[in-house]
Amino acid sequence: MRIEKCYFCSGPVYPGHGTMFVRNDCKTFRFCKSKCLKNFKKKRNPRKTRWTKAFRKASGKELTVDNSLEFEKRRNIAVKYKRELWSKTVEAMMKVEGIKRKRQAQFILNRLKKGKQLQKAEDISEVKKNIHLIKAPHADKAKVMEEKMVQKLQEDVEMGDN
Amino acid sequence: MVLISRSFTGFLTQLSSLTHHNAFSVSAAAAAIQKMTRVRVVDNSPQGTTPWHRAPRVIHVYTKNGVGKVGDRVLLAIKGGKKKALIVGHKMPGERMNPRFDSNNVVLIEDNGNPTGTRIKVPLPTHLRKMEGEYSKLLAIASRFV
Repeated sequence: MRIEKCYFCSGPVYPGHGTMFVRNDCKTFRFCKSKCLKNFKKKRNPRKTRWTKAFRKASGKELTVDNSLEFEKRRNIAVKYKRELWSKTVEAMMKVEGIKRKRQAQFILNRLKKGKQLQKAEDISEVKKNIHLIKAPHADKAKVMEEKMVQKLQEDVEMGDN
Repeated sequence: MVLISRSFTGFLTQLSSLTHHNAFSVSAAAAAIQKMTRVRVVDNSPQGTTPWHRAPRVIHVYTKNGVGKVGDRVLLAIKGGKKKALIVGHKMPGERMNPRFDSNNVVLIEDNGNPTGTRIKVPLPTHLRKMEGEYSKLLAIASRFV
């Protein structure tokens, strides 16, 4: 029993779910739901359909090259059954899954950091532009005038000294 | 006169599309396999692979209703003669968990159920396996199940 991948959305196809289509070049296509099948029949390219994993990986929105993803690759070599190997593999699978999720989440976080920076800069510029909504433009005028006068007097005093 | 000329043009276009041998029918899916459906012979038997000016056609379906699904026997008109065959895949979507094929595939068979060819390269559906007794030899020459 094997959990296949949907050809269109790359989601898991569990046993008892989905449909399969066999093309005349003997290539089989599995679909997890009729949505994917219908899109396939409409000849849509999964690498251009925005909600599919194929698009996200092709446009760099998700982690593509990583060691933890190598474990998912299909091996065409039969392995002789050994109980310890079997139980160890199950443990390893759980660990690898945890690591993979963390790495994928980190990748997305890093990708969105740039957006946060840009957002902050934008916010600052917006505040500066619309400062008149927060503080009246002539609110500090009197204070500034006073400070200027004080500074002038000080200069006069210094001049007078000299 | 007009009617005859119209049917003639239809006939001619059909001929022109069937002159390249080994071309299988690619029309839209109808009610699985019935009389007059053109089928694609999928084994390596000489009758199935040599070119002929007419595609192999179903002339009788051995079911209670005249509709043939996967696992049903049919009679084909092939190369000017009659031959029995077994349906191994059709364009019409059937059971949800069975694969749908891109053409109506058929394997030539003798009267006792033995295949005429020696190899079937095209993938066969796994639910054919339940007819282990009758078509065991046919399943044995299949190279891939899907």
